[in-house]
Amino acid sequence: MSEERGMGIIVETIARATIPLIGIFGAYVVSHGHLTPGGGFQGGATIAGAGILFLIAFGLGEMKQHYNKNLYSILEGLGGLAFLGMAMLGIGVAFFYNTLWHNGPIFNGRPGTLLSAGYLPVMNIAVGLKVFAGLVSAMVAIASYRRWGK
Amino acid sequence: MSFIVAFLWSYVLWLVLTAGSEGMLWSTEELVAGVLFSAVVAFATRNLIGEKAGRFLNPVKWAGFVIYAIGPLFWGMVRANFDVAYRVITGKIKPGIVRVPVELENDAQYTLLSNSITLTPGTLTIDACPEEKALYVHWINVTEREPKDSSVVAGSFEKWARWLGR
Repeated sequence: MSEERGMGIIVETIARATIPLIGIFGAYVVSHGHLTPGGGFQGGATIAGAGILFLIAFGLGEMKQHYNKNLYSILEGLGGLAFLGMAMLGIGVAFFYNTLWHNGPIFNGRPGTLLSAGYLPVMNIAVGLKVFAGLVSAMVAIASYRRWGK
Repeated sequence: MSFIVAFLWSYVLWLVLTAGSEGMLWSTEELVAGVLFSAVVAFATRNLIGEKAGRFLNPVKWAGFVIYAIGPLFWGMVRANFDVAYRVITGKIKPGIVRVPVELENDAQYTLLSNSITLTPGTLTIDACPEEKALYVHWINVTEREPKDSSVVAGSFEKWARWLGR
């Protein structure tokens, strides 16, 4: 299948080096969503960009060997559940009550540090996970959908 | 091994991004979070970064990269930029695609040489063919139609790429 091969030696080598960097930069954007510009969606889309770079640089054939539909489906559901779980934590007062910030054991540090802002960092990670898994799944599904040449 | 390489590679970028979280240095929570996130990223990309990527953990090679970047590569870029400015003003160009035979063994060497050739203006790598040990280079001023080695196109870059990517 000619469409399933990658883009050549230079693109593949650069992709090998940059995909971990894109991943960790996306993780930085996600985990500092309460401190710096960005957040769950932006960081998740960045990490999904790394996945799409893998898909384009190495081709669909290689992607199919490393992509597990059930795993990504579970990750996306897990992200949504973690978001809901954080929203339910303060249900004794109200839905979305930020109990971690007001009296909860962690995530109530001095504002401006990493472990502050209550449930926000956890929710950002949940949204980032969901967006990453969803976008990568969508792109793999679109790339696999082929009736063009047949 | 490749897990460790991917971990260190991403952890260094994390440290660069989060520098200044406590004074000029890093707060403990940033360091711990960096270890966690880098471990996740490294676990996800451990098969991607390559089995032999551990050779880039050699500090001698880092020094080599720095020397190469600020020495031959920077000087080549400055010189080639002036050359292209001269060709823009005078219009003396003779473009063409030449096949440049190279003596390289692995992917990293081909990538380093191709990117160096593309970074120096006037030459642009179009394709790298490891199976025929050649690069196809688009050249703004072809002086030699069938070069025997890469020195007319890239100067000393091939020697550096051979050493840095080994």
